[in-house]
Amino acid sequence: MSASLPHEIIKKQKAKEFRINQLRAISLDIFFIFYSILVVHRTILNRFLFENKNLPFTWGDTAIIAVISIVAGTAWALSGTSLSCKLFGIAKDNKTTKWTVEIFGWFLFNITFISGWIVTKISIVDLFSPDGLAGAGRIFGALFTPNMEIFDEALFAIIETIYIALIATIVSIPVTLIFSFLAARNLMEDSKTGLVVYNVLRVILNFTRSIEPLIWAIIFSVWIGIGPYAGMLSLLIHTIASNAKLYSEAIESIEPGPVEAITATGANKFQVIWYAVVPQIVLPFLSFTIYRWDINVRMATIIGLVGGGGIGTMLIQYQGLARWHEVGLIVIMIAIVVWVMDFISAKIRAAIY
Amino acid sequence: MILKIENLHKIYPNGTHALQGIDLTLNEGEFLVVIGLSGSGKSTLLRCVNRLIEPTSGKVLFDGQDVTHVHGAELRELKKKIGMVFQQFNLIKRRSVLLNVISGKLGSLGTLESLTETFSQDVIDEAMECLRTVGIEEKAGIRADALSGGQQQRVAIARSLMQRPKLLLADEPVASLDPATSNSIMQYFEKINKEMGTTIICNLHFLSLVRRYATRVVALKQGNLIYEGKPEDIDEKWFKTIYGDEAEEVEIR
Repeated sequence: MSASLPHEIIKKQKAKEFRINQLRAISLDIFFIFYSILVVHRTILNRFLFENKNLPFTWGDTAIIAVISIVAGTAWALSGTSLSCKLFGIAKDNKTTKWTVEIFGWFLFNITFISGWIVTKISIVDLFSPDGLAGAGRIFGALFTPNMEIFDEALFAIIETIYIALIATIVSIPVTLIFSFLAARNLMEDSKTGLVVYNVLRVILNFTRSIEPLIWAIIFSVWIGIGPYAGMLSLLIHTIASNAKLYSEAIESIEPGPVEAITATGANKFQVIWYAVVPQIVLPFLSFTIYRWDINVRMATIIGLVGGGGIGTMLIQYQGLARWHEVGLIVIMIAIVVWVMDFISAKIRAAIY
Repeated sequence: MILKIENLHKIYPNGTHALQGIDLTLNEGEFLVVIGLSGSGKSTLLRCVNRLIEPTSGKVLFDGQDVTHVHGAELRELKKKIGMVFQQFNLIKRRSVLLNVISGKLGSLGTLESLTETFSQDVIDEAMECLRTVGIEEKAGIRADALSGGQQQRVAIARSLMQRPKLLLADEPVASLDPATSNSIMQYFEKINKEMGTTIICNLHFLSLVRRYATRVVALKQGNLIYEGKPEDIDEKWFKTIYGDEAEEVEIR
């Protein structure tokens, strides 16, 4: 009985894999068809050909399109000749598959490109209109004749920006370290609890990271008031979320050999991490963190625009007053600082390796 | 009898049927060599013994105890008793040779003691003794990645000796070394086998080494055990069965 068992396991595994892939193919085909109909109907037909710019959104139309795509997508995927079947490797190997995949692939690319062009409102005329060119010339001229009177003020502001970035980076390190171990699949996958923690943390981190620091700065400037503290907090949150991901990916891509060797000696989880994982990730972690400081200086500038303090806040004030000579000085100073930071962090990172 | 394997199967999640019903017994003091092509299941077999891998079905009895599905503290106890040496040495590259050797003892050291890396003089002496066994005690303070391949493998052997293993597994220990170094590494295994009485299972590719060091040979092909016997009984015909008709024996001295 036990001799036939392994073959049954293999058969079950294969059947399960096929079912999962088929489900994926069906969902993707439904999406493809839904997307195609929507794009062709709303953008290409109505907006471009009929010049019907303000087509109202109705749930009724959307529902009809959805029903059509669910029926067509399911049938197409089950026939085994669709684009998604090909993508998930369960397509039948025949002429029909080959043709549908090629034609539909091109169709998808072309409607996406054409509707993208329409939506972007690309216009050569606007770019080279005489009025526009004159305005641009005025601003560029002012930018290259900076007003040096505000140099002291700008210098303090830019130092504030650098410190905001520095504090956000340093404070992020301990939290990031803990999260990165908990979000590394190769360390968490041997137990059910571990996998739950891993998945929950990944979702939270991905969600946090998908909210740009600019949005966080708006939230915090309402929460605790405009100023450098709000800017620092928004950078901190985003730094933790994105560095935890980078760190955990560094942990996932370590050489598995030493982990296997230390595990084989009968060491426990903490010992394996300390002896086989940590020595391999110290340098990448250091490198990421320094690079992040560099990124944070640039981001702190942008965050200043919405009330995060530092040079960005100063820039948006002068820009609002249309004082372009002052703006020119600030832009030049930002460019210099960013360039210097970039240079220093690259040098340090090169020296580490 | 130190090890008994009964009808062992391993199926990986991707569907590969790596072991297809292996039966094998091993007596204390043997030097068993496992041969076979890459992908024949040699590594999987070793890893099922010290349970780096959990078998799909079948049984592994080590020292009379069924270890097929043990986990947690019991699994760590099992691993403590079985040493392992790898093809890629798998040392902690950025740390000293001495620390690498001590890491073989982690299973018996407390968590706090090992995380703060404060080891008692006894442990350090023991590690130096293991380094002396493989003849590189003078390298104790050097970073492991500064050593040559052969020296790294000797450190790996010293690390496994720290466990005072009843059974030593060696997964193609000389496959990334040059012929002369290979032979010297095999001599250390022989010394451990003969002088300390440690039972050894070793995966090898070169038949000349097999004939010289093995007390018994088994051959795997596509997850099945197709040969079991004395090393000198592997003739031309068996060789072609194990390695395929195209194969020709390469000498290594």
